[in-house]
Amino acid sequence: MRKRVVITGMGVVTPLGNDVESLFTANLEGRSGVGPITLFNASRFPTQFAAQVRDFDLGKYVQDGERWANCGANSRFAAGAAHQALSDAGLIDDSKVDRTRVGIYLGSGEGVQDFHHLISLVAKSYTPEQGSVDGVIFGKGGMQHFNPAREYEQEPHTTTAHLAAYFGLEGPNFNCLTACAASSQAIGEATELIRYGDADIMLTGGAHSMIHPFGLTGFNKLTALSTRNESPTKASRPFELNRDGFVLGEGAGMLVLEELEHAKKRGATIYAEITGYGSTADAFRMTDSHPEGRGAITCLAQALESGSFKPEDIGYINAHGTSTQVNDRVETLAIKKVFGEAAYQVPISSTKSMLGHLIAAAGAVELIVTITALRRGVLPPTINYDEPDPECDLDYIPNTAREKRVRHAVSNSFGFGGQNVSLVVSRFDG
Amino acid sequence: MVSTKRRAVITGCGAVTSLGVSAQALWDGMVAGRSGIRQITGFDVSVYPSRIGSEVLDFEAKQFIDKKERKSLKVMSRSIQFAVAGAKLAMDDSGVDKDKLDKTRFGVEFGAGLIASELAELGPAAHVSSNCQPGTVDMEKWGVQGLANMPPLWMLKYLPNMLACHVSILHDAQGPNNSITESDVASLLALGEAYRIIGRNMADFFLVGGADSKLNPLSFVRHTLFMPLSRRNDAPAAACRPFDRNRDGVVLGEGAGVVVLEDLEHARARGAQIYAELVGFSAAFDAKGNGSGVTRVIQGAMREAGITAEQVDHVNAHGLSSARSDVIEARGIQKAFGSHKVPVFAPKSYIGCLGAGSGITEMIASLLGMRHGTVPPTLNHDETDPECPVMVSSGSARPLEREYVVKVSFTDIGQCAAVVLRDGKTLAANS
Repeated sequence: MRKRVVITGMGVVTPLGNDVESLFTANLEGRSGVGPITLFNASRFPTQFAAQVRDFDLGKYVQDGERWANCGANSRFAAGAAHQALSDAGLIDDSKVDRTRVGIYLGSGEGVQDFHHLISLVAKSYTPEQGSVDGVIFGKGGMQHFNPAREYEQEPHTTTAHLAAYFGLEGPNFNCLTACAASSQAIGEATELIRYGDADIMLTGGAHSMIHPFGLTGFNKLTALSTRNESPTKASRPFELNRDGFVLGEGAGMLVLEELEHAKKRGATIYAEITGYGSTADAFRMTDSHPEGRGAITCLAQALESGSFKPEDIGYINAHGTSTQVNDRVETLAIKKVFGEAAYQVPISSTKSMLGHLIAAAGAVELIVTITALRRGVLPPTINYDEPDPECDLDYIPNTAREKRVRHAVSNSFGFGGQNVSLVVSRFDG
Repeated sequence: MVSTKRRAVITGCGAVTSLGVSAQALWDGMVAGRSGIRQITGFDVSVYPSRIGSEVLDFEAKQFIDKKERKSLKVMSRSIQFAVAGAKLAMDDSGVDKDKLDKTRFGVEFGAGLIASELAELGPAAHVSSNCQPGTVDMEKWGVQGLANMPPLWMLKYLPNMLACHVSILHDAQGPNNSITESDVASLLALGEAYRIIGRNMADFFLVGGADSKLNPLSFVRHTLFMPLSRRNDAPAAACRPFDRNRDGVVLGEGAGVVVLEDLEHARARGAQIYAELVGFSAAFDAKGNGSGVTRVIQGAMREAGITAEQVDHVNAHGLSSARSDVIEARGIQKAFGSHKVPVFAPKSYIGCLGAGSGITEMIASLLGMRHGTVPPTLNHDETDPECPVMVSSGSARPLEREYVVKVSFTDIGQCAAVVLRDGKTLAANS
C-alpha cells in the first residue's frame, strides 16, 4: 500500500503577517500587503512598489545570532518560518524522533549579489570605449571590498544547510529552484521522498526575496511587473480585465510533512493530507508559457489522476494567478480543459492579489492558505476584481471571502521557464 | 517492493571538461594521465593568489544547437551552454531516435549553481549610474539611465532553472523538470530524484546532468575570498592532490556532465547499449561535520542496492583536495566499508571542482571505466595523508574487478549524497 503523507506543522513569514493566523485573517478580510518599496530607493524605477515583509524579528524565533548575521533574506525568512512549523509539529526538542529520518527539501531562492559593491566596482573597472572591464582593477577591488562571509551566504545551498544544522535535520537535504514553481515542486518531491521511505518527516517549503535592485531591474526589463505606481494596493488584479503585470512579494512558507502512521504514533496534530501531485514542463519558450497551456493541462490532469480524483471532487482551486495577461488567460484555459463543465462550478482565487508574488516561496505560502481554508470552511477572495475579462470567465471568488465546506483543493504553481506543478490537498478526517 | 520496482539504467554520456568536449575526450585524457588544470587564460587572473583552473577550451556552443534555435544563444550564459552541449552529446551517445520518444514521459533534471553576471554586460549601466564612491550607486540614475542600458532579457541568462529549461525546449522534453541548487552535491541529487521518478512510473527517459562555471571574474574573486584555493601556480597539473599529504587546496573548474537515465524495459525495447544500472541512492546531512553523513549515504545506497562492501570495485570519491574536506570524506568512507579496503578513485585530480556539475561529470569516468573494464589512477597521489585512512588508487590504471561502483558527493557544509552503479555488462549477462 502506498504510504500516506500528512501535514503536521506550518509556518509563514509574509507581507500580511508572520504567523498563519494573521495571514489567514488578512486574507479573509481581503487586505493588500502591497506598498511603496522601502528596502532601497526605487523611486525612479518603472515599478516603485512591492509587498514587503513587515515587523520581522528573527531573534523572536532563533538563537545563535552569529549563524544568521551574514545570511540573506532567504535564509532569515526561512529560519523564522521553519521555527514556527517545527514548533507547531512539536519537533523542536523531540528527542524520541530519529533525526536521521527527518530531512529538508526547500525551494529557496538564489543568493543575491551585493548590488552596491558590485556595481560601483564594475563602474570603476569599466572602460566604455572598449566595452570591457579591467580584470586587475576589478580583482583587486573585489578582494578588498567584498565581504567574504556575505559572499559565501549567496551560495544556493546555504539556506538548507543552516536550517538542517540548527534544527537537527539529518535526513535528505535538497533545494530546488524552478522559479515560481520551486516551493510547490519541493513539497511534491518531499512528499515522494516520504512515500518511498527515504524519510519519515520532511521540512519543506520555500523562502525568497527578489525585492532588491537586481530583481526589480530584471523583472522591469522583462516588462513582467505592474507599473500602477499611483495605486499599489490595486496593482495585483489576477484574472481582471485591467491587469498589467505581477507585483513582487517576499517571504517564506514552511510545512512539516510526515508519514501518516509516524504522525499518529507520536500523537501529532494533522492539518491535512497531500493527495495529488503533478509536475511537467512546457518545453516551449523561455519567456512565454505555451499559448494553449499544454504543460499546465498535463500537470493539472496528472495531479488529479495521481489521487484518483474526478474534477467534481475538487472544491477549491488556489490559482497561480499572477495578474499578468498571459498567465491568467492560459491558467483559465487549462482549468477549463481539464475540468470541463466542472470548471464553472469550482471556486478559484488568487491570493497573489493580496500577497503579491513570492516567487520561489509563493507555492508554499499559497498551499498553507489553501490548507487553512479547508480547515476553516472559508475560501479567501481574489481582490481588486472590478471588471471581468471575457477570456477569464470562471468563478474567481471576487473581492469577498466565501464560506464553503471543501474536502479537496488544488494549488497551482507555474514557473518562468516552463515548469508546472499542481498539488492536491485534502482535509484529514482520519 | 524492491522486486517490482521499475529499474533505471544509464544509456548515454556527455561531458564538457578541460580534457575536451565529449565523454570520450574526458576518458582519453584520464587514460593518458593528462591533467586538464592549467593557467587560467579566459580572463586576467594576475592579481589573484591562485591563478590556475580547469578551463574548457575550444568550445563552440553553436555546434550543439540546430540552426533555427541558435538565436537562443544570446540568452545562454556559459553554464547554460555547457548544459546544452552536454545534453546533446548524451542524447547522441544514447542512440535514441528522438521522434520515437513519448515527450510527456521525457524528463530533465539538472544540478545548477549560482550563475555569475558577465561584468561587461553590467558595464554600461554601472557607468552611467556611478557616483564615484566605492560601495554605493546612485539609485535614481540606475532606475532610469541604468535600466535603459541593461539588455531586456538580461535576467534570463542567470536564473539557475534555465539550464534544464533550455534543454527541455531543445529536446521537447515535456515530462518532470527540476533544477537542484545544492552546490557540489546538486547533480547527484538530481540523478537520485530522476531515479525515483522513473521508479514510480512518472517518466521513462531522462536527461540528467549538472553544469557550472566558476572561471569568470566575479565567481573567481568570490571563491578567492571564501574557499581555500591551491596556490601551486608553478605546477598546475600537480595542484589538485586529493588525499595526498601535500595538498594545498581546491582547484576551480567548469564544464558539464550529462547522462541519459532510462527505464530498463524502455532501453531494452530500443536495443540501447547500457553503461550501468542505477541500483541505489541515498541523501543526508552531516550535522556533525565528521564524515558521519558520508558513511550514512554510502551505507544507505548500498542497502538499497542490496550489496555488501566486498562487491564494490571502487569508490568514485568527492576528493576535493582541501585540507579539511578530504579528511572528513576519508573517515566517512572508511567507516562505511569497515575492514574491506576499497580502492578510492578521485577524478577531481584531473579536472578540478566543477561545482554543481561535479558529481555526474566525475561519475562518467567510472561509467566509461565499466565499459572499458579499467579504472584510471588518481593523479598526484604521491604520499597518503595519514589523516586520510583510505586506499587511493594511484600510479597506474587498474582493471575493474567487481560489479558495483559507489559515487559520493558532498558539500563543505554537510549535504551528502551517494549512488550505487551496477556494471551494465553483467546486467546483460544475468538478465
